Amino acid sequence: MLDLLIMLSRYLFIFYIGFFLWQGIVYIAYEQGGFLGSPYHAVSIQRRLIILMHITAFLILSYNRDTGIYDWKAVLFGAVGCIFLLAAIHFLDRFYYEGCPLIWTGTLFLMDTSLIILQRLEPILAYKQLMWMVIGLVGMLLLPTFFRLIPRFEIFEWAFIIICFGLLLCTKIFGVERHGSTNWLSIGGLTFQPSELVKFLFVFYLASVFRKRVEWKEFIITGVLSAGIVLLLVLQKDLGSALIFFMAYMVMLYIATANELLFLLGMIMASGAATLAYKIFSHVRVRVAAWQNPWADIDSGGYQIVNSLFAITTWGLLGSGLTKGMPKSIPVVESDFIFAAICEEFGTLFGAGVICIFIMLLYRGVRIALDCKRRYYSILAVGVITMLCFQAFIIIGGVIKLIPLTGVTLPFVSYGGTSVLVSLMMMGLLQWVCVYCEQHDADEKTSPDMEMEGGEDYE
Amino acid sequence: MNNMKRSIRRIFWLLVLCFLLLLGYIGKLVLMERVGISTNAYNTRLRYVDNTIRRGDIIDMDGEVLATSVLQGDGTYERKYLRSRMAAHITGYSSVGKTGVEAAQNFEMMTLHNEFFQRVMAIATGKELVGNSVVVTVDMDIQTIAGNLLGNAKGAVVVMEPSTGRILALQAYPDFDPNTVSANWDELKDAEDSPLVNRATQGLYPPGSTFKLVTSLAVMENIRDWQTKTYECTGEAAFENKVIHCYNNKAHGTVDLKQALTVSCNSYFAQMTTEIGSSKLREVMKRVGMETPSGFDLAYSQNRIGLEASATQSELVETAIGQGETAVTPMYMAMLASAIANEGIMMQPYIVDHIQYSNGKAGNYTVPKKLTEICSTQEAATLRDMMVSVVEKGTGSAASINGVTVAGKTGTAENATGNDHSWFVGFAPAENPKIAVAVVIENSDAYGSATPIAGKVIQEALKQLENKA
Repeated sequence: MLDLLIMLSRYLFIFYIGFFLWQGIVYIAYEQGGFLGSPYHAVSIQRRLIILMHITAFLILSYNRDTGIYDWKAVLFGAVGCIFLLAAIHFLDRFYYEGCPLIWTGTLFLMDTSLIILQRLEPILAYKQLMWMVIGLVGMLLLPTFFRLIPRFEIFEWAFIIICFGLLLCTKIFGVERHGSTNWLSIGGLTFQPSELVKFLFVFYLASVFRKRVEWKEFIITGVLSAGIVLLLVLQKDLGSALIFFMAYMVMLYIATANELLFLLGMIMASGAATLAYKIFSHVRVRVAAWQNPWADIDSGGYQIVNSLFAITTWGLLGSGLTKGMPKSIPVVESDFIFAAICEEFGTLFGAGVICIFIMLLYRGVRIALDCKRRYYSILAVGVITMLCFQAFIIIGGVIKLIPLTGVTLPFVSYGGTSVLVSLMMMGLLQWVCVYCEQHDADEKTSPDMEMEGGEDYE
Repeated sequence: MNNMKRSIRRIFWLLVLCFLLLLGYIGKLVLMERVGISTNAYNTRLRYVDNTIRRGDIIDMDGEVLATSVLQGDGTYERKYLRSRMAAHITGYSSVGKTGVEAAQNFEMMTLHNEFFQRVMAIATGKELVGNSVVVTVDMDIQTIAGNLLGNAKGAVVVMEPSTGRILALQAYPDFDPNTVSANWDELKDAEDSPLVNRATQGLYPPGSTFKLVTSLAVMENIRDWQTKTYECTGEAAFENKVIHCYNNKAHGTVDLKQALTVSCNSYFAQMTTEIGSSKLREVMKRVGMETPSGFDLAYSQNRIGLEASATQSELVETAIGQGETAVTPMYMAMLASAIANEGIMMQPYIVDHIQYSNGKAGNYTVPKKLTEICSTQEAATLRDMMVSVVEKGTGSAASINGVTVAGKTGTAENATGNDHSWFVGFAPAENPKIAVAVVIENSDAYGSATPIAGKVIQEALKQLENKA
């Protein structure tokens, strides 16, 4: 009976994500002037789909096949998770009333997928993940209050970059090695990844500098400092983060200057640097070799990526069904390779759906940046959303062997406390920009004579 | 501000492009490369076993069931091998690990066709869940003939259809009873004559004089006047540090290529390869697919080319007559004979013909695939004529059959055991080849030559094919 349910659930999950994305399209169509359905309905349907998916998955996960009874621990966790989702929907609606609802539903969908697949892989990790999600959510809800207290945080640009370097240098000196990268810091038994926190500050720093007109001086200072951060990360063997920081810098510089030549030049220089890194660092060469031909070295170097490809291809479009696959054959499946586990058990179609959700988030994030009339916030929003989406791209690309593997987390989905916390804070920031701009632009419309604060916000 | 908006839009499209690349690549993985990737032997998912499903059967071309699962009183399934030893190296076993078709098609036999329907029926009527059955290309009539002819001689017989690469019979001795593998495991795994090893696909033997087919090809391609060139055989020929003897030191007199192959003159081929050189010979060995993975369904060994471009002359002349470090599987020799029979085109060998679903319908037929092209049509025809001559008036006369032209080549492979291996590879009928065979008999002094066995296998197999046509 359970087998039959699992079999049917494969179609159900595909339906959930497909219908979820369709409702996103309905919402966007309305915004663009078309009409496929009520946008308010669309959002509430999306919310219900998330809850339904959660319930379906936990019904399957909490059934113990050997004893034939429901495991009360899993049932309880499923219920707690459900309450968390409902509370998140409720509070986000209240605290970010003018925020984009699609960003919230998209993020929650990804977080729910994360809870389900982690419960499937290793329940203890799911508990921890939920705890971090709660902390992240609370932090996110406090964000608007925090920014109200410190209204002009852009003046702290130097503080941001100094903390960035401080954190990274600490990791370099006191860091702990995990999965081949020395990018963990341990304080009183609590380990976290400073490079995740640095992401947040780095975007702030760049946006603060680029809010003014970018002259040679700014260009050179930010360029050198960013290169320093990237170099520090490469030395910590954290190639994924290095790549993300580099791209964030290039994107924000390009947006601030609108200079294609500079962008191309940066890309060429990066190719040169990558070639150099390939020649100097053996760990770079190992990664590239494992990408070029993992089949030649299945027993060691190519093991991870080959198993990931097995997981993705063996069961086809609909997957094996929840609990029916063998995702544990992939090392580090709970963090870097979580996408392979999702493809294996939910099906590759569902995996494609996850990618589409990231596209949706990207579109909404960019929409916010485009609608925002203040240069500073606009740059901030683009920086945040491109960083998250680019991160999703390089880890999914690595897992499916499109590009060499760089160990970073899949935002909102991979297991990792710091990653979840920072990704949520970044989403909060994006939504806050949305809310802030909407309120202030509205204010300007009602009182056009109001003096504009800080002419530097305008080009 | 407008510049900035334009830049933001461009960055947006760039990232969307990245995501579309991901989607495209995943699509390619699942829709186009799925079979190639997921059937890799390292994929642990293929060893998945679900005890609530009745494993599919293994069936031969005529519908004879070779392996089936029977429901026991305690609700578990027991695997029964109805032809026991006769098909042991084909079915393999599924108890202490898996081999043979049991291993290669495990996933298929565990897959439920119309899963939804079967599961609903199982709940409603208590009907058992039945996996897909695998139909193999083997004809048990030919397989039985080959097995009986091989008898207690250690060795292997491979029968293949040259134009497609279908395996009609695959015999190897020593064999084992798949029904009792688990009970006799300790004995079987330590047995000195390794009965669990499928000698037909995993046994590596020096090819002996059958390798002269490859050397002949090298002669035709590298010695311009080979058609008129003759050699004076005195029964032995001296090279750097090495004297090559003809069989029993027999002097063959004046020989050309055709005559040399017919009487299997070692001196002629040794002399010719010194003129060809090791790098050119090596090139031909590679082109005839000796290093090409055959991609066969069952576990197989890769042939070994024991000839470097920098080989000494003694290594070179030994290789020329199939001695030295080069080793091949009986399976490969059958593929080589098939390729010559098939105008130079080597087909990929296969043993799984199609899948038979639990509702009786069939599907997923294997489509014959070209593996490589070993020589031109012209060269293949010349080799065929010479091989006919081998059987008509040369060393292979024991394989001749009344009313059918057989083409073949014999071989005697010296080896470390001191007892020679006997080889025969060939095909028939020569003018329109229906089957190709490779037979190897270990320790032929005691068990007799491979040639008459091959002759009988060909005769009986052709008879069977004719009856069924």
